[in-house]
Amino acid sequence: MSLFLIVALPFVGSLLPGLMNSAGRNACAGVTFMITLTALVGLLTNLPAVLAGEVVQTGVTWLPDLGLNVTLMLDGLGFFFACLILGIGLLIITYGRFYLSRKDNMGEFFTYLLLFQGAMVGIVLSDNILLLIVFWELTSLSSFLLIGYWKHLPEGRQGARMALTVTGMGGLALIGGALILGNIAGSYDLSVILQNREAIQASPMYLPALILILLGCFTKSAQFPFHFWLPHAMAAPTPVSAYLHSATMVKAGIFLMARLWPVLSGTPEWFVIVTTAGLITMVLGAVIALFKHDLKSLLAFSTVSHLGLITMLLGTGTAFGAMAAMFHILNHATFKAALFMSAGIIDHEAHTRDIRRLGGLRKLMPVTFVIATLAALSMAGIPFLNGFLSKEMMLEEAERTVLFSSPYLVPALATFGSLFSAAYCFRLIGHTFFGPVRDDYPATPHDPPVGMWGPPALLVVIVVAIGVAPFLAEPFIKTVTASVLGDAAEVPKNYFKIWHGFVPALFMSIIAVVGGLIVMAIYKPLQAAWDATPRPEAKTIFEAVIASAVALAKALTHPLHNGAFTRYAAIFAITVIAISYHAWTTGTVGAPTRAVQPAGVVEIAGWALLVTATLGMVVLHRHRLLSLILIGIVGLMVSVGFVVFSAPDLAMTQLTVEVVTIILLLLALNFLPNRTPVESPVLMRMRDAGIAIVGGLATFALAFHYMLRDTVAPSISEFHIANSYKGGGGTNMVNVILVDFRGFDTYGEIIVLGIAALLIFALTEALLNGPVRARLLNRLPDQPRAGDMHPMMMVVMTRVIMPLVMLVGFYIFLRGHNEPGGGFIAGLVVSIGFVMQYMASGFAWTSSRLRYPYHGVIGAGVLVAGLTGIGSWFFAKPFLTSDFTYVRIPPFNEFELATAALFDVGVFLAVVGAVMLSLESFSRLARRAHVEDPEHPMDINPSRDDAPKAEA
Amino acid sequence: MLANDLAILTPEILLAIYAMLALIAIVYTGKDAMARLSLWMTSGVFIGLAAWIGLSGQGTNIAFDGMFVDDAFSRFAKVTILLSAAAVLLMSQDYMERRDLLRFEYPLLIALAAVGMMVMVSAGDLMALYMGLELQSLALYVVASLRRDNLKSTEAGLKYFVLGALSSGLLLYGASLTYGYAGTTLFSGIIEAASGDGPMSLGLVFGLVFLSAGLAFKVSAAPFHMWTPDVYEGSPTPVTAFFATAPKVAAMCLFARVVHDAFGGSVGDWQQIVAFLAVISMFLGAIAAIGQTNIKRLMAYSSIAHMGFALMGLAAGTALGVQAMLIYMAIYVTMNIGTFAFILSMEKEGQPVTEIAALNSFAKREPLQALAVLVLMFSLAGVPPMVGFFGKYGVLIAAVDAGLSWLAIAGVIASVIGAFYYLRIVYYMYFGDDRDAVDYKASPVLWGMLVASAAIMVIGVLNFFGIEAPAAQAAAALVN
Repeated sequence: MSLFLIVALPFVGSLLPGLMNSAGRNACAGVTFMITLTALVGLLTNLPAVLAGEVVQTGVTWLPDLGLNVTLMLDGLGFFFACLILGIGLLIITYGRFYLSRKDNMGEFFTYLLLFQGAMVGIVLSDNILLLIVFWELTSLSSFLLIGYWKHLPEGRQGARMALTVTGMGGLALIGGALILGNIAGSYDLSVILQNREAIQASPMYLPALILILLGCFTKSAQFPFHFWLPHAMAAPTPVSAYLHSATMVKAGIFLMARLWPVLSGTPEWFVIVTTAGLITMVLGAVIALFKHDLKSLLAFSTVSHLGLITMLLGTGTAFGAMAAMFHILNHATFKAALFMSAGIIDHEAHTRDIRRLGGLRKLMPVTFVIATLAALSMAGIPFLNGFLSKEMMLEEAERTVLFSSPYLVPALATFGSLFSAAYCFRLIGHTFFGPVRDDYPATPHDPPVGMWGPPALLVVIVVAIGVAPFLAEPFIKTVTASVLGDAAEVPKNYFKIWHGFVPALFMSIIAVVGGLIVMAIYKPLQAAWDATPRPEAKTIFEAVIASAVALAKALTHPLHNGAFTRYAAIFAITVIAISYHAWTTGTVGAPTRAVQPAGVVEIAGWALLVTATLGMVVLHRHRLLSLILIGIVGLMVSVGFVVFSAPDLAMTQLTVEVVTIILLLLALNFLPNRTPVESPVLMRMRDAGIAIVGGLATFALAFHYMLRDTVAPSISEFHIANSYKGGGGTNMVNVILVDFRGFDTYGEIIVLGIAALLIFALTEALLNGPVRARLLNRLPDQPRAGDMHPMMMVVMTRVIMPLVMLVGFYIFLRGHNEPGGGFIAGLVVSIGFVMQYMASGFAWTSSRLRYPYHGVIGAGVLVAGLTGIGSWFFAKPFLTSDFTYVRIPPFNEFELATAALFDVGVFLAVVGAVMLSLESFSRLARRAHVEDPEHPMDINPSRDDAPKAEA
Repeated sequence: MLANDLAILTPEILLAIYAMLALIAIVYTGKDAMARLSLWMTSGVFIGLAAWIGLSGQGTNIAFDGMFVDDAFSRFAKVTILLSAAAVLLMSQDYMERRDLLRFEYPLLIALAAVGMMVMVSAGDLMALYMGLELQSLALYVVASLRRDNLKSTEAGLKYFVLGALSSGLLLYGASLTYGYAGTTLFSGIIEAASGDGPMSLGLVFGLVFLSAGLAFKVSAAPFHMWTPDVYEGSPTPVTAFFATAPKVAAMCLFARVVHDAFGGSVGDWQQIVAFLAVISMFLGAIAAIGQTNIKRLMAYSSIAHMGFALMGLAAGTALGVQAMLIYMAIYVTMNIGTFAFILSMEKEGQPVTEIAALNSFAKREPLQALAVLVLMFSLAGVPPMVGFFGKYGVLIAAVDAGLSWLAIAGVIASVIGAFYYLRIVYYMYFGDDRDAVDYKASPVLWGMLVASAAIMVIGVLNFFGIEAPAAQAAAALVN
């Protein structure tokens, strides 16, 4: 049968049991059984080819860009594992049918089981290592569903979590390893990777790849130090434990180690890591298993121990070790599955798995007794049972293995482990089946129906058959071993036999069995001693590790994200400075191309003023009024700077903007307390100061660097110098840029300006209609008001000056095109003239004399500018194309008329409107606070009847 | 000429006009009573435009002398952006309506943000880049503080705004340095100036550094990610869902465009920056998420980690890397939509719940939804065979192929750490105890989104729904 079909059958079939749930339990189990059987038969049709040493391959492309192809291959190793998975699967399905009670949802159970089965078959038949990983993780997922099948058991929770966490993380590590491996080999196909032993082992990435892959294998196969999750996953229903945790899933890690054995093994790293981990696991598992009271727990630790044994064998890196490992996989799968099922039977019938509450079952459950005893004795390594054979081979291999340059370490530990292994097997038999019949079982034990004892019985038949006639298994195991070894080594010639003569392995075996019996004899004091010894509980350690990881993560995160904006900004700034520093030090810094210009006294004085004002501002920023004044100085110095560098337009703009903004800010300050509260501790301010200074220095360095060097590109000034008079008709380039070259931008800007003013208006309007209104009305000034709010001197001065200001504005506007000036500055100047009136005589007086609403002024400005632009359409020119001409109206000299001037009118109006509207909005707030509006423009009514009414 | 240019920009122009007209129309008619209509209409427009762009666009069209580029890359990004924005809008309706948050301007602000994002991914010039970026950001600042009467929401908006302004400033500084040393703002001109003989001039290096810092802020790559957790937690959940999807795609694609179109000739210079951002983001996202108890904050860190992975694809500096990054983003967006559809349906006594502990034994009550969430979490963690794995796998391959094995290994380690907290959610759902259980009230839309996105994560392994080929085309259009 095609390999695709074998893999796909369980997946496709997994829909059936779920759908057939209502058709009854037998139908569910039956259909599952048939699916598995079909797959198994399909697999067996490939047996001749496999025995002939062929590798059956098939594949289709899937995501070729990613190196992902669905390629499957079947060789001895894959066949062996697939047989185990499907064969034991059949037994488990039969067993599960009778094990699950009526309340359990059988369709769901069998669906998960088939999913899992398909994933397992997928792992062992994958040719593409990435496909293998996909199936690998699918087993994690489906096993999670299976373990979680009995959700009502609270003890299952922790176990499932550990299983998921440990194997999930291991699987991700495996991905990394596989990626590196594929990268070295140049292909992700196992058949290619396996040919590249030398390249892989010579690669500097070999060790990382090995570690990552072994992480995946060790977590999956519960090897030390990840052995702890397996026993805790035993809360699952027994069929699940028997299937996943003895025969199949936990062997996936072993399978992968065997699969990659030809390319990874044989190096010192492999030997030390794998052998050591296996050895520790074997001994540790065996010792713990002896003292477990829960039958399944005992079996779980024994599984851990046996997996360690197999791992150790693979770790030795010899062909004999690999062969022994393969043989033991087969043997372990048979006797351990039988034992798990027996444990399940006992649990099912006696309603307890606690060894302390059992005993004497020999008479009550004779069939189960025979099955379990044979299986357990096999596990203990008693001759004429299959466990003996492979254990013998293991001891033989151990005897030859030199670890950490000690020839005794491995044999001694292996014997020690075997001793405990024998001991717990004897305990399992002795304490469960022997002894007096008790009268306090939770339920009356009796043998189950044949459906439940049949599957383990069948397995025990195999146990005995191989044990008595090992030559039956020999050709098959050798085929499997040959495919494990690949081209790396020859299959050893040794024959499988029961009697090898008086070899060291036999003595070690005898020591183990006799020792096991002795341990059993002194079990009670040992147990007491064990209970009294404090020992690290893996589960607690896991919990502690998790807890400390969470605590560590919190400790790292919470200071980082404490919600404080200053911290965020500080991190932002530090990072930018650090990256800049890196760029600076690693970049190539060319020699300066410009000389440093000498600094005159004026420049230095201006610079000093600027720096002092800025520093003062930082120090005194809590005092709002003072800082406003200091800002004013900064602005002033900047405009002086523009003057120094011959940019009169900018200077004028800056200056007028300064004046307007300071006035607006003053109005706003009126509503704020004088000082801002102190919110940050001194240390934090020191830190911030440090960052600021470093940032400032960095910016300075960068700017200084650039000022000393020519830019690569030619300056765009040249274009403007060349075209400003010719194309725009103006000699003031700044103005020409504003109204002509970049007229569209300016148009956008005046719209934005207008919107900003409207927004200020809308906000204050909303405030005044809200609850703030009452507060404003009841507000008492926090400082004594000036006695003369509208001093006569000021009123008179502003009135006199106003026409002058208007004239200046007009003048600036007109000269704008050729000399410094323009609509923007003119607008600001005129606004200042108006603002002065407000300041002098108060809001009410001034606004009552106002004829045009500012909204309208803004709108008019935008309209004028827009229409000017549209005007050019009539001359088939693009929007805002400007034109100019010279006219002569006697008696004047010839002068220029430019459409740009019209546009400038729009700018002018928009600026005036925007400034005045914002001012008006603020002062509306202020006005509410006043009790009454003054009647007169100044404090003293000039038109009053001056003669005091005497004696009035 | 102009007509030709405008024709290329038609989708953007149409969307902008739609947003403005709808805004005016609704202001003068029903206001919030029309909110639902505006929401459905906007999503309809999004889907329509996505279909149009996806189906009709061909070749590379350049408008406005190269300021605007319409190529396979931008079309891929736009379709992803528009579809995810539509999905998030549809998801928000029920949630926002029940909490009296559904304002008519919300969908329109999203529409404006979408215009910005479309311009971003099509930018062929620093100016277009900035215009698009700011249009998007301004709209997002507002929606972040949509819940105006909520302190956290307004705080989130404010923080986002101030930090965003800071990053914009940095970006502008970088842009002006670039301009100064390239003599042009066009990407095609910058690439010429940057890939001349010898090392790149320091001015361009700094321009690149500052541009990258500004863009890193937008993709919330660590260490410019500081706003992300607070904004995710503070904003209304539908807004968070939006933040986690479309803008991330836009910013990531913009990042790709800048580094490839403008600095494609000097991969070595930006590779180290991007790789640095990728590593820090992956690890910070993974480690910080462990300590979180709020699922929205957790998703914030998760998104930081995911951006790290996407940046890894970008760091490869190859067409394969860009392709992997695009696929990664598409998958990421799909997963996030599903996850947020679930988060939006978590509530207790009518109040939204975002505590992870509230998921206790969710599986017992809602087995199907729990299964869907399980699939999504596994996918987010990058566990095979979910599609999320293939996204991660693609960027890892790209990094390894580009000789960045160390980056790939770091990525694997980070994803191992990150798996922990996704699996923890699964654990709570399946094995938590019964206390403090959350109610689950999903509207059909939310339910559908959750199940659909989970189904995509499973079925998608067959052939990624064929997005591989368009992604490859897109990458080829960008990297040449």
